[in-house]
Amino acid sequence: MANEKDVLVQIRNLYVTYGTRLGSVSAVDDVSFDIYRGEILGLVGESGCGKSTLGKALMRMIKSPGEITGGQVIFNGEDIMEYSDKQMRDFRGRRTSMIFQDPMTSLNPVQRVDEHMIEAIEVHEPKTKKANITDRITSLIERLGIQKRRLTDYPHQLSGGMRQRVMVGLGLVLNAHLIIADEATTSLDVIVEANLVDQLREIRDEFGVTILMITHNIALVAEIADRIAVMYAGRFAEIGPINDVFEDPMHPYTQGLLRSVPSIRLDDQEELYKMPGEPPNLTQPPSGCRFHPRCPQAIPICARIQPELLETKQGRLVNCWLFQDQPEEAAHPIMVTA
Amino acid sequence: MTEQQNSPEKKASTATEIPQWQLDLDQVGFVRRIFIARKWYGGDWWFVVVSAVLLLFIIIVGIFPQWFAPYDPRAEVGPSLLAPGEPPSAYVLVIRTDSGVVEFKQIANRDNNIGFVIGSPASQAFREVVGALNAESQAAGEGSQYQPRPQRFESIEEGLAALENGEIDGYIASPDELAGVVENFTGVEILGGLRVEADKGFVMGTNQIGQDVLSRTIWGTRIALIVGLSSAIVAIMFGVPLGLISAYIGGTLDRGLTLVMDSLYSFPGLILAISIAAVLGAGIGNVIVAIAVLYIPTYYRIVRGQVLSVKSELYVEAARSLGAKGSTILVHYIFPKVIPSVVIIFSVNVADAILTQAALSFLGLGLPPDTPDWGIDLARGQDYVRRAWWLIAFPGLMVSLVTLSFSMLGESLSEILNPRLSEL
Amino acid sequence: MSSSLRNFLITRALLTIPMVLILITMVFFIMRILPGDPIRSELGPKATEEQVEIIAERLGLNKPLYQQYYEFLWQMITLDFGNALTMGERPIKDELAEKLPATIELTIPAMLFTAFFGIFAGAYAAKKRKKAQDYGIRLFSIAIYSIPIFVMGLIFQIIFSVRLNILPIAGRLDPLLLVTFESPTNFYIIDSILTQNWAALRSTIAHLILPALTLGLALTGVFIRLTRVNMIEAQESDFITAGRARGIPENKLHYRHALRNTFIPILTLIGLQFAILLAGAVLTETTFSWPGMGRYLVTRIQLRDYNAVQATIGVFALFVAVISVVMDVLYAFIDPRIRY
Repeated sequence: MANEKDVLVQIRNLYVTYGTRLGSVSAVDDVSFDIYRGEILGLVGESGCGKSTLGKALMRMIKSPGEITGGQVIFNGEDIMEYSDKQMRDFRGRRTSMIFQDPMTSLNPVQRVDEHMIEAIEVHEPKTKKANITDRITSLIERLGIQKRRLTDYPHQLSGGMRQRVMVGLGLVLNAHLIIADEATTSLDVIVEANLVDQLREIRDEFGVTILMITHNIALVAEIADRIAVMYAGRFAEIGPINDVFEDPMHPYTQGLLRSVPSIRLDDQEELYKMPGEPPNLTQPPSGCRFHPRCPQAIPICARIQPELLETKQGRLVNCWLFQDQPEEAAHPIMVTA
Repeated sequence: MTEQQNSPEKKASTATEIPQWQLDLDQVGFVRRIFIARKWYGGDWWFVVVSAVLLLFIIIVGIFPQWFAPYDPRAEVGPSLLAPGEPPSAYVLVIRTDSGVVEFKQIANRDNNIGFVIGSPASQAFREVVGALNAESQAAGEGSQYQPRPQRFESIEEGLAALENGEIDGYIASPDELAGVVENFTGVEILGGLRVEADKGFVMGTNQIGQDVLSRTIWGTRIALIVGLSSAIVAIMFGVPLGLISAYIGGTLDRGLTLVMDSLYSFPGLILAISIAAVLGAGIGNVIVAIAVLYIPTYYRIVRGQVLSVKSELYVEAARSLGAKGSTILVHYIFPKVIPSVVIIFSVNVADAILTQAALSFLGLGLPPDTPDWGIDLARGQDYVRRAWWLIAFPGLMVSLVTLSFSMLGESLSEILNPRLSEL
Repeated sequence: MSSSLRNFLITRALLTIPMVLILITMVFFIMRILPGDPIRSELGPKATEEQVEIIAERLGLNKPLYQQYYEFLWQMITLDFGNALTMGERPIKDELAEKLPATIELTIPAMLFTAFFGIFAGAYAAKKRKKAQDYGIRLFSIAIYSIPIFVMGLIFQIIFSVRLNILPIAGRLDPLLLVTFESPTNFYIIDSILTQNWAALRSTIAHLILPALTLGLALTGVFIRLTRVNMIEAQESDFITAGRARGIPENKLHYRHALRNTFIPILTLIGLQFAILLAGAVLTETTFSWPGMGRYLVTRIQLRDYNAVQATIGVFALFVAVISVVMDVLYAFIDPRIRY
């Protein structure tokens, strides 16, 4: 694991809001965390909790009607929110790269694999010589376990796993520091998925890239990630090293989440935990802690005041009143207007 | 609230503030909601509203053309080819000073000669005044007895010279033409106006047979709407059920029907309509049939496509697995899903049908020749394209306006209703 | 790869046969079975039985229906339609051979104009979606669509020929030049270049401008609309988002990636547009006295020349079928997903 001090990305008080016909949705709500250089950070949560939005926000790729309404994303010491469009374009691809859920559609169907790669290099490094480009692409693609002759294929001729590897390659070809994999393995079948996950870890080791793995599959995160971040309703519930969190989940949501993962052991007669309630409607989120209506350990303050994501132990951050000092004012009953 | 420390919360509430109009949306009635929705839909909302208002007006005009049209569209109400707003020239009669004539009647017999410049509107004035005299004498039971011989001259000077020499008994010209000329001829004098009442002009002018263009244009709305709407409805009545049944039953029937409909669809619509209309002959019913045939495949294809996609959706499968009857599924589950696209297509279809109908009339097919119809008027106007722009401009404008309203409604409705294109 | 392409082409060509058959049957059905008696309408109500029978025999209408159908099919296959009933009674085949080039010479420039202008404007509108430019272009496209072709043609005639007097009002070539004009192919542009008759070339082009512009503009509306919709759809697709995430410039994403993918549906569109184009050509030719297939059809309908009408509509049907095959072949060349 990388040196704790070596931070690649600092996210500070990030807000993303979607204006919908039914009202605005705060999909990412005051999120602050760090991504360390060279780590694999697993970002998990239910569908609609804002994890994909967060991933896109890191590249400022939120599309209208969504909007980043506040906060900073400090990448290598520079706040990318201050970047001009041109700087942003340079940033995308060269510094970060993104892999999407559906490998069928994330490559241009009428463009060959090598054309994708050549285009990426030409856009970002216009001075590179043709021969160098070819060499770079060829060695990279072979490193990813794709045969050289596949370069002249069209995307529909590749398998799903190969396409995802091409997507990874498109990030690596420009030496991106951060690869955001947004549900990148979800649509693959189990064996292919396992292969790709292994490969991602090898790539991390070999190229030293940082990977943000966005997924709803906790088992997958357990296998690959160094740290895990659990997201609930647009906020972080808990962040910590993977083993610590799995052994001793602190936030009640994390606890519930881990207990609801099915185990493959056949003799395990224990029933799966079913979390009560439903994810909140984000147009009108619950007051205070967004999890309190479903929380088995909720205390009165939870409904009134929102806790903060604070470090409780070494490297572990939890967003829960159970683990932090409750403010003095909480002692007085406060009327909260609806 | 005294939560001073809890700054993130405050920040959050400002960051996620919901615009007031969105909150209002849940609390107001349907009409206000439509009004407020303009902020969401932007330009498309305006397209819908503008076209709806236009259509309302057009439909009222189409139902009650008599309220708007100043004249009977078939009656000859003025001189031919009068430009918009131009008053018909007041023609005067010039006579020899010594003839002792005091009114036109006296020189309007068979042996009299009346002169005017060849090809000028004076000929119209001449015909009109003679017609009026005859009508008068007929009413008095004396029969048509006035029939002076027209004498056409190349120029006004020639005519006045002939009058002076006694070759003709009277000369018709407008005061403007006579000014500065009549003084050169000593033996003649201006008797006075030919017509008693001074006509006002026509807003859109008159056509080559003296019908009021405005009235014909207004009455044309009725024909266009009748044909456009009826043919679209006929097409729906055939296309939608065929599409529903074909897609629902599937198999050979579906394949055969699809092949036929696709062929029909790929054939140039207007040419199909031309051939059907030519074979069927003139008549409004025949036009409706000829046009309706073109659009049956459009409805068939869209409905069939929708049914096929809805049919495989889970809730329909679920209903089937619960033992719902085929007809129940078709009526309760599938048909409602198809309605929005049919509405959109209907609107576009009416626009197209009106264009096709105008084209058929323009080519001389379909409607009886004297019908007040834009296509017929345009075809006639084509013969006068060098002289009378108003014969083309006004009916042309009306066809375009009506078509525009229908297609604008259809287009913007599809932009609003089509979930594939609207973002949330 | 090439063998699968060949298979695709063969299959596609074979699939055209039922389509052509249905179209021709449809023409036959309309001409024979629909109520309305072509003989009576030709001769008028006072015709005697004898006269009716003579005409019926001449047209072959007294034969059994299946035999008429068979003969008509054979006519379509051999393209030998017999003689026209009016206007010199020449073989219809020869007459159509003169008219078809005129129609093609009119429709190709119109189609090119539509395709270039329509695709560009539609792509631009999609790029500026929900902005003023988008609404402006859309309003333009609806307005252009709503003006009947012949009205647009007449208005152009009034403006450019009557008022400004810079372009000829109708026809295909100056009548003075037509007297000595040699026309082996009936494509006047090609002919005048071949015979190096520059005055005729100038005159032909001058005569072509207004009709082609009218026809082209009339189709542009639909083209803009469909390009725009397809572009918007392509813009929303994942590979555009992925491209954006790689830092590909917006213009490149829009005009290269999205547009290139839009070409596939647009090509289908061009195929369908050809039907509308032919329908539009009928009106344009009538408005501008352009001696093509459409005007031929209309005049022959007015003359009640049954044979000529039937043959012309049949040839239109064949034309449509040929275009649809050509489009599918082009489609296969553009879309790599079909090629393999």
